[in-house]
Amino acid sequence: MRLRRWRWIALALTLTSGTALIAASAAASVEAALQPVSRWWQSLSTPQLRVPEGWPRPQYDARHNPVTRAGFELGRRLFYDPLLSLDGSIACASCHQQFAAFAHFDHRVSHGLAGANGTRNAPPLFNLAWQSSFMWDGGVTHLELQPLAPLANPVEMGETLPAVIAKLRRDAEYPALFAAAFGSDHIDGQRFLRALAQFLATLISDASHYDRVLAGRESFSAAESRGYATFQQRCAACHAEPLFSDDGYARDGIDNGDAGRALITARIEDRGRMRVPSLRNLGYSAPYMHDGRYDTLDQVLQHYAHGIRDAESLDARLPPAASLRDDEIADLLAFLDTLNDPNFIDDPRYAEPSAR
Amino acid sequence: MDRPGRRARSLFALPLAIAALAALSACEGGEADGLPLRLEISHEIAAQPLKPGAEYALPTGEHLSVDRLRYYLSNFRLHAPDGLWSTAAHSDDDARGYFLVDESQATSRVFDIAGFAPGQYDGIEFVIGVDAARNRQGAQNGALDPAQGMFWTWNTGYIFFKLEGHSPESSAKDHRVEYHIGGADLQRTVYLPLGGKPLRLDARLLATVHLQADVGQLFQGASALHLADKPTVMDPASGRVVADRYAAIFRVDHLHHQPRR
Ligand code: HEC
Ligand code: HEC
Repeated sequence: MRLRRWRWIALALTLTSGTALIAASAAASVEAALQPVSRWWQSLSTPQLRVPEGWPRPQYDARHNPVTRAGFELGRRLFYDPLLSLDGSIACASCHQQFAAFAHFDHRVSHGLAGANGTRNAPPLFNLAWQSSFMWDGGVTHLELQPLAPLANPVEMGETLPAVIAKLRRDAEYPALFAAAFGSDHIDGQRFLRALAQFLATLISDASHYDRVLAGRESFSAAESRGYATFQQRCAACHAEPLFSDDGYARDGIDNGDAGRALITARIEDRGRMRVPSLRNLGYSAPYMHDGRYDTLDQVLQHYAHGIRDAESLDARLPPAASLRDDEIADLLAFLDTLNDPNFIDDPRYAEPSAR
Repeated sequence: MDRPGRRARSLFALPLAIAALAALSACEGGEADGLPLRLEISHEIAAQPLKPGAEYALPTGEHLSVDRLRYYLSNFRLHAPDGLWSTAAHSDDDARGYFLVDESQATSRVFDIAGFAPGQYDGIEFVIGVDAARNRQGAQNGALDPAQGMFWTWNTGYIFFKLEGHSPESSAKDHRVEYHIGGADLQRTVYLPLGGKPLRLDARLLATVHLQADVGQLFQGASALHLADKPTVMDPASGRVVADRYAAIFRVDHLHHQPRR
């Protein structure tokens, strides 16, 4: 009697756990099987300038340039089109590659027209709508006006805006695309720049492990937690959450003679100050720093730990970072890794249009 | 640009001194389109008509030939003898009220400024350059389209005033002279009295103010610019000395009124 009851219980237990296991593995494989479907589904939508939970209001005011499907798609097409350069060889996407979080993979300083070298590392592009200024020296103060800088730069695209507008007007397809986006096929500088801004402003990266931990959906490992604490103590004064930049300028001991912010303000105290870059997606955007001098994050952290002299005189917020201990580096690396957003890198809506 | 101007007329009953400050913020919408004022500008150099490429002697004793002269004028207002102002039409959606004057384009030197109230006026005010608010507003169209070539790409903002030419005294390459003046606070407001006879704006008359702009004035007086020391000025920080002189180049030559058809 008793024995039989136990047998029943054992059988029931085996059955339930078995089904649970099968159900779990089925769910996982269904999710995997559905991934292309959800990808495809996602690819049908148009990214919007949404404000992720807990983020401040964007700096970019899109009220005069609301994101539409046709406007975004036009901006995306322009971003990938080498027609924008003098000899038709360089697109924005030549130096800003999606798999590198829209930085220039493997290039310390960017290469443009006829292989000419610039003097600065192409920064990754995401969460731009929250930046009040652009370029390492902050010389550009409006997202819509940023594309003018590479366009006109002789070592980047070497083209003029009137010439680009003329090429777009002559093109077989662009007039219709502008009409779809803006209501008539008139093409001018404002419409060209607004279309690009619709693409740039909606490059939002907010789906990293870190973001899910903050939303309470995942948790940090022990090393990640320790790294987060170290980060908050030593780095957050400049690399402020949730964008991992305070949108300001600082000197952190990287000096290659580039006057940085002082080129714009002409103030002595701004010599060598650079825009504080975000720390999101570092896993994709090597090399690092405005001159691309470091290939790995370990080298960057070694710079903070050992390479900074006279931290106080460089920036009052720097001493905690400059006293980074070796035992903290591994934890910090683990934490920085939680800021990578593979979804952003793979998001088909940001990919080259024909590759869709 | 060529949409029928929506009216943004405003009248200010403010003393002249504080009117300048209040004008930009306090605007009341008007009912009709208002009346246009025609502005005609002739360029001179050292009191002689400016001919591109010709060399002129400057008051400083130096010499200058001008190949290119372009500048923005904006924020026009007319002053009435009773102290009231009438402000030109303005819109956030387009560049009405902003004019790019180019010596090489005759049509750019004669233009109609829309949106004034009927009445009599004894003074005209305008800004050389683009006001700070519009200078920060992102990609603009029409006269303010960055494709007009009056925009700095590496240091966001309009070039308000461009003077390019040559001078035997210039120490720059090929004796070039290049003044590109712009930057957050280098726009300058000019007020010019219209003289003894008032300007009349009414529906039956087209009124024209004829201005003379003498670029030789940059090289005149105690703060005169010297081409030997300053042949090139291309950034906001060093542009101030030029900006501080460019208001002096304008004067009212005469007014005329003709019947409209
Ligand atoms: C030849 C390489 C190259 C090309 C082509 C190029 N860029 Fe860049 N981009 C750079 C570099 C280098 C910087 C940083 C420049 C600096 O700080 O002086 C930059 C900066 C930027 C920034 C500012 C990012 C920030 O965080 O400050 C944006 C936005 C941008 N580029 C968008 C574009 C667009 C849009 C195009 C096409 C119209 C384009 N780029 C074409 C190399 C390039
Ligand atoms: C005083 C402000 C400040 C502090 C504190 C600071 N940084 Fe930075 N960080 C900067 C600036 C400015 C740059 C860009 C410098 C350059 O390129 O010349 C930068 C660059 C970086 C980069 C390279 C990013 C890229 O895209 O090239 C990394 C990684 C980085 N910091 C990590 C850290 C870490 C980790 C800490 C804490 C140990 C820290 N920073 C503390 C200001 C700061």
